[in-house]
Amino acid sequence: MQADWVLKEDEAIELLALLITSARIQMDEPAHYGPLRLLTAVERLSSLIEARSSQKSRGFLQDNIERIPDMHMLMSDVEAYTEGLDALCRAVAGCLLRHSALEDEA
Amino acid sequence: MNETLRNIKTRRVVREMSEEPVEREQIETILEAARWAPSGGNLRPNRYIVIKAAETRRLLRLVAPGMFQRAPVLILICTNWQVVEAHGLTARDRALLIDIGTAAQNIMLATHALGLAAGPVTSYSKEAVRIILNLPAHYSPEMFICIGHKAASARQGMRAWQKITWRDLTHWERF
Ligand SMILES: Cc1cc2nc3c(=O)[nH]c(=O)nc-3n(C[C@H](O)[C@H](O)[C@H](O)COP(=O)(O)O)c2cc1C
Repeated sequence: MQADWVLKEDEAIELLALLITSARIQMDEPAHYGPLRLLTAVERLSSLIEARSSQKSRGFLQDNIERIPDMHMLMSDVEAYTEGLDALCRAVAGCLLRHSALEDEA
Repeated sequence: MNETLRNIKTRRVVREMSEEPVEREQIETILEAARWAPSGGNLRPNRYIVIKAAETRRLLRLVAPGMFQRAPVLILICTNWQVVEAHGLTARDRALLIDIGTAAQNIMLATHALGLAAGPVTSYSKEAVRIILNLPAHYSPEMFICIGHKAASARQGMRAWQKITWRDLTHWERF
């Protein structure tokens, strides 16, 4: 059975605060800061759920999310940064498959 | 190399800090350096708020997506609009922003000279900061300087967009 929670209410509100304030400051900041803010929220969420995550997610969280701060350092190299984001997309798609029934049918 | 010039050249923004506290005396030295920053018309519209309490710092970080540090001390540079208005200036006066810049640089250089680490942050919601600190209406929160000790594991700063020297930034005489 899947646990029906991953966040405490306080933690969820803290994440909301990060997302809402990110939305506001993005109005004043360069467009390429958008990915940085979203990934900061991803890191925050990952750090909140990692210890409680199931086997299906833990590898993804541990292997990929921890590398995000290093990725930010490359922000000025658009190609390398885009490749880093693509790699993250591939990894999260793999994680989605592990959580879905599709994988069991195969 | 001259000590002051070396200090200017070796200062880097630090985004990962340890829990180690900063001495009260060191904070006061840094605030005095801010006081000696040049100010347009010598008006000194800047005010400084020092935040050490852990819970206040935690809340501020939650509304500051650009604050990657968990710094033991935050200095918030504010503009006091009563001073600005008393001298007939308006928000359009760019000297106000320059005043924040001169103070910020003095704070960061003084911090570095004390062997501590500093990081400026402007990516935060001003309205949310206003609520959390209960700022009076005539104070606007302009820039945080995070102050602490560099973490042993700290990464290098952001890679530069391009290599630049002072020559790339400078024209001599006329166009
Ligand atoms: C006006 C201003 C705003 C800044 N805001 C932030 C910020 O919100 N978050 C951050 O991590 N760094 C911030 N910085 C730091 C710059 O990113 C940093 O100075 C720059 O990358 C050069 O690095 P260096 O100072 O170590 O040479 C800011 C710097 C200035 C001057």
